[in-house]
Amino acid sequence: MRKIWLIIKREYVTRVKTKGFVIGTLIVPLLGIGFTALIIFLVGHQSNQSLRFAIVDNAGGIAPTVVGSLDTKLASGQPMFVVTETIDRPASPGAVQDELRAKVISGALDAYLLIPKDLSQPTELHTKNPGNYALFGPLNAALNQALVEVRLNARGIHVDDVRDIVRGADLQIIKVSKQGESVEKGQTMGVAVALVILLYLSLLMYGIITMRSVLEEKTTRTMEVLISAVHPFELLAGKILGVAAVAFTQFFIWSLSLALLATYGAALSAMAGAGTTLASIHIPAGLLASACVYFFGGYFLYSSMFAAVGAACSNEQDAAQLQWIAMAPLVFTMLIYSMVLNDPASRASLILSEIPFFSPLLMPLRISLQTPPAWQIALSIGLLFVSIVAVIYCSAKVYRVGILMYGKRPTLPEMVRWLRHS
Amino acid sequence: MDAIALENVSKSYDSVTAVSGVNLRIPQGAVLGLLGPNGAGKTTTIRMVMNILVPDEGSILVLGEPVSDKTRDSIGYLPEERGLYPRMQVRSLIVFFAALHGLSEAEADRRAREWLDRFELAQWSEKKMNELSKGMQQKVQFIIAVLHRPPIVILDEPFSGLDPVNAATVKDIMLEMRDQGSTIILSTHRMEQVEKMCDSICLINHGRSVLDGDLRAIKHSYGKNTVDIEFTGPDGFLTNPAIASVNRFATGVEAKLKPGADAQEILKAAVQSGAQISRFELLEPSLNEIFIEKTSHA
Repeated sequence: MRKIWLIIKREYVTRVKTKGFVIGTLIVPLLGIGFTALIIFLVGHQSNQSLRFAIVDNAGGIAPTVVGSLDTKLASGQPMFVVTETIDRPASPGAVQDELRAKVISGALDAYLLIPKDLSQPTELHTKNPGNYALFGPLNAALNQALVEVRLNARGIHVDDVRDIVRGADLQIIKVSKQGESVEKGQTMGVAVALVILLYLSLLMYGIITMRSVLEEKTTRTMEVLISAVHPFELLAGKILGVAAVAFTQFFIWSLSLALLATYGAALSAMAGAGTTLASIHIPAGLLASACVYFFGGYFLYSSMFAAVGAACSNEQDAAQLQWIAMAPLVFTMLIYSMVLNDPASRASLILSEIPFFSPLLMPLRISLQTPPAWQIALSIGLLFVSIVAVIYCSAKVYRVGILMYGKRPTLPEMVRWLRHS
Repeated sequence: MDAIALENVSKSYDSVTAVSGVNLRIPQGAVLGLLGPNGAGKTTTIRMVMNILVPDEGSILVLGEPVSDKTRDSIGYLPEERGLYPRMQVRSLIVFFAALHGLSEAEADRRAREWLDRFELAQWSEKKMNELSKGMQQKVQFIIAVLHRPPIVILDEPFSGLDPVNAATVKDIMLEMRDQGSTIILSTHRMEQVEKMCDSICLINHGRSVLDGDLRAIKHSYGKNTVDIEFTGPDGFLTNPAIASVNRFATGVEAKLKPGADAQEILKAAVQSGAQISRFELLEPSLNEIFIEKTSHA
């Protein structure tokens, strides 16, 4: 045990001290917070800018209706559109347009709207910044509404009657769970997909870290001295646990900064005046805890395979070619996870989320969407645990033979033979 | 009690027999030269002694006990393939390995400082391994092999890559350890080192022990069948029928005599041929010669 502890300690200390770890652990969340703050700031800032424009109404009588329907507000409460002047049926349209164009160029106006004489022709917005789609959408809607109103009026139909008749149902999604009911705006889906991607990337990243760590001991020949001091199994266990401790540290710091972000992020976004969905994203502690359990379960399962691959190879190139053995089930999970996402309670979802190589990603996904019965979670953890033991047992055998082998990259059948042999 | 005792030990990988029926007893305090051509089975033998590999057949005792993870801590090992964590600091690296061999970290640190001083590496102790020269790395690796004062030390080519001054330090430390009762196994291809350092040898070829025992006794058993001749001038006399084989050097030759041949005949022939002889000595064969003889016609 003492030797395993020493190996864990060395692995942890040398890894935590590297620049990569410091950058990945401290700077990434800082950047994340920084970017979020920047986006909140920019969104708030950008939407504070109203569109100031003039209306040239060649048809006549339309402009007031248009102005009346331009009631969209910015996040800050300011009106989104400010109509500086309306020109009704100008005597010399060309001269008016020249004048307005000059104002747009000088910056006195942001744009001018040209309503055609014949309303079946398109309406034109002349602006210096034709990429401002955040404003054009609402403007187009307001114009449509105004035109419909004008046409209905012309036929003697009351606008409000029509509006009442054609009002939509406005379907709202309410998520029902044991914790109660909450209005769904896509955050459940967002959290679920983000969770799967995070778990996938973390498992892959830490698996590859473990593999490279083993490989480094081989390529530098440190292995020769190591195996004269410790049993290969102690070495393997120490390595996997050491990298796990590094992962734990990293997650701890990340969740701490995430908690800070959640606490202060809402305040920050309120300050910036942006109505953000950040505050509506609520990650239950139970989901976080189960994601942790499945991450570490998956980590032990996959990293022991990655360690065996690292032990079997003698250089980076060989390892890059052989790592598919450990990666394949993980990548496959990413190909099928949308099945579970679409119908988390289906029989297929149940079966897939119980299979140990898939469960580290798929069970947290199901939990986040629609918490499955406790027995299903217990069963998948049990199955995961049993397979961890089995996979570590096999990996240790391959590892034990592999660390002494140099030269040609072994094939899969050769590795299976090592398994049987030792 | 023997430091190491191998009895009828065999090991094969897939279809290749690496070691076959090796018997070897190394008494405590001995310095044994483990010899053999490349691929003869030396590393496999060493790895079995250290319980890294398990023999297919036979038994191995280390200090009277069957090999186990526990007996491994009684052995210090300098592998032939050198290399240590390149990005670790020199002293913490030494302390790490000493702690793995059972020393407390405080004691390991104290000894590490002592040894680094002795090898004039003190000012490098905070540096990373990959900042050291090859020779310095070699010294660090030697320190790791001996720091925990193991009763048995296995050194594979300990002098390779060392300058004469450092080689002398390593040699002195080996003799010092022997005087303190350690058993040393020296695996090398440098026969003159074996002749100077070892009191017994084990020669392995094709996985079998072809010659083992006390070095002096072995050489003695060959009798004085070799003449060391230093000369200038014609070398036609070397075709004399009394000479079995000739090993040429810059200043002369080492000639092996045929059984029953008379060395005087050769001297006479040499003088008659006009060679200027500065040295003519009848000797036991060199270990080099014995090695070549034992391994070349197998």
